[in-house]
Amino acid sequence: MIVVHPENCTGCMRCMLVCSYTYTKKFSFSASRIKIREYRAEFTEDCNECGKCVEQCFYGALEMVK
Amino acid sequence: MSFAGKILRIDLTNCEINKYDSDLAKNYIGGFGFCAKLACDNIKPEMDPLSPSNPLIIGAGALVGTNAPATSRIYAFTKLPANGAIGWGGGGGVTFACNLKFAGYDAVIIEGKADRPVFITIEDNDIGICDAEDTWGFGISETCQKIWKECGEGGIMAIGQAGENLVRFSMMYVDRLSTVGRGGIGAVMGSKNLKALFVRGSGSVEVKDRRRFDKAVKELLERMRSYPYLKEWQELGLLKSLPAIPRDVYLKLRKRRIACVSCPIGDKDVLELDGEEIYTTSAVNLVTPAVMGMNYKDAMRLTAKLDEYGMDMFEFLGILNFAKELSEKGKLELDSEIDFTSLDSMLSWAKKIALREGTGDLLANGFTEMEKKFGVKPKSVVKGLRAYVTPKGPLIWNLFGTMELGQILDPRGPHVAAGGSPTYFAKRPPESFRKHLARMGIPDEKIEEILSGGIKIGKLLCYSHIWFTVLASLGICARAQINRFYNADICAELYSAATGIEISKNQLLDRAKEVWRMLKLANFRAGFTREDDLPPEDWLDDGFRDYVTGEPLTKEDVERMLDEHYMEMGLEEFMRR
Repeated sequence: MIVVHPENCTGCMRCMLVCSYTYTKKFSFSASRIKIREYRAEFTEDCNECGKCVEQCFYGALEMVK
Repeated sequence: MSFAGKILRIDLTNCEINKYDSDLAKNYIGGFGFCAKLACDNIKPEMDPLSPSNPLIIGAGALVGTNAPATSRIYAFTKLPANGAIGWGGGGGVTFACNLKFAGYDAVIIEGKADRPVFITIEDNDIGICDAEDTWGFGISETCQKIWKECGEGGIMAIGQAGENLVRFSMMYVDRLSTVGRGGIGAVMGSKNLKALFVRGSGSVEVKDRRRFDKAVKELLERMRSYPYLKEWQELGLLKSLPAIPRDVYLKLRKRRIACVSCPIGDKDVLELDGEEIYTTSAVNLVTPAVMGMNYKDAMRLTAKLDEYGMDMFEFLGILNFAKELSEKGKLELDSEIDFTSLDSMLSWAKKIALREGTGDLLANGFTEMEKKFGVKPKSVVKGLRAYVTPKGPLIWNLFGTMELGQILDPRGPHVAAGGSPTYFAKRPPESFRKHLARMGIPDEKIEEILSGGIKIGKLLCYSHIWFTVLASLGICARAQINRFYNADICAELYSAATGIEISKNQLLDRAKEVWRMLKLANFRAGFTREDDLPPEDWLDDGFRDYVTGEPLTKEDVERMLDEHYMEMGLEEFMRR
């Protein structure tokens, strides 16, 4: 499960970039399954919690908890 | 491939909108290089910077929109109102730069003048020129908030009251956080009745060779993750190297650290000072007025207000210093006292200048006009702008390295961004330079030439400019905490993999050199001369000191550096005969 720590989010959107790239082979905000709005992360229904976004977060805003 | 492929041209006079393909990337790399070429082709020497004909060219680099780390820079080229240079401003693109690419554009050219205040909306193929009567007169934050409320998520470039009132040191702000240009780029927008640009892209950016691109990005990210000072840079940003306020004071004030899109080491901030939220490009900037004798809280309040007006703080303090000097000489009558230690005095002058009230109207015209009017040469002013780094400034050293020389050789005026090298730090032994210079792609034999018999600052600066042009054209942030992870080989590899334009390191550096040379030549053609590249008199004899020997800098020293620089840059016609 992905746990979000919004207090650490800087809005760098690396999570959105890698998500769209992983699933569409293109970088975009619109195709991302994670959405950052006002430094808060939301996940679309398509999200399968693959964890790519967690790997890309440099700020400790996303955490994978087993 | 990673290019959006289109240039958007908007004529505000006739409300004409054109989109066209461009093959400029082939020879001019992208971003900075691409826009520099558009500027040189579209800006004529006789153009008045505040006339409708002066174009404003805004572009994002070749890697912007990808996940290569810290690739969000945005550049704006125009003829600068402060000095008439064909110049530019660059800033962190926050969410603007990638949205421009996602909307399908590498650059946007804005020409003409609207018949009323407007803001431009760019949403993929839909381009709007919307009424901005209700935001005209607003500060930066208020403008951004209103546009976000109206248009939703997206990137914004906006001006405040200073830009509207054509203050010659007004700036554009990106997402109310980062600043673009102090040569008066805000005034160019104001002269077009253009309050803001809003952009949201629902499209995407692709890379040509994913495997190759992913490998290069993975290596960069791994090096960043294992960097021992990563956490410290993330926590403190520029305060790490310039501790303008104590760490605990800063952390207490900070509500959130903000990064530009794709940046793992963001250093923009939201601070809270006595209940008031402040958005800032850097906490170091925010407290800078404290060096004039103000307490840090008042310094922050002042800079925050200047940011709201959309006005450069360095230029604001510099022009007030000059006005005070003129007043003390009996040449200028002020309508109120200038007291650098008093917040009230400073806020009152900020308002007078931004809104052109009383004597503020005169000061808003900047150094060039003031010098013409009073016949007095201001100190440490280069090409109509006050230098950032001066011999009697707040830095603890006064050695003349590439950043210092770069302030007089940069065609747009005294900026330091393009002059980076290891001379940023005082008294480094020449041997410690080798690794850094190799990273910038300087060939071994040239490194030997630069380091033989001291350090040839003029020659080295040529390579600083080339390295900056590479980073800026790819959209990579040039700040030390980012640029240290990149080298010329990685840049060529990422560029080739992302764009599909196969390029070697040397070809990339050659194209970057050609871009800088083109800008310099365009400015020489526009009337700038070797004389304009000489230092202010107060920098010599009892001013700066030689980086290696520590001896006082002489005019002959600088003339020699200029010759070295012109020779290396392929500008031999400007060398002494």
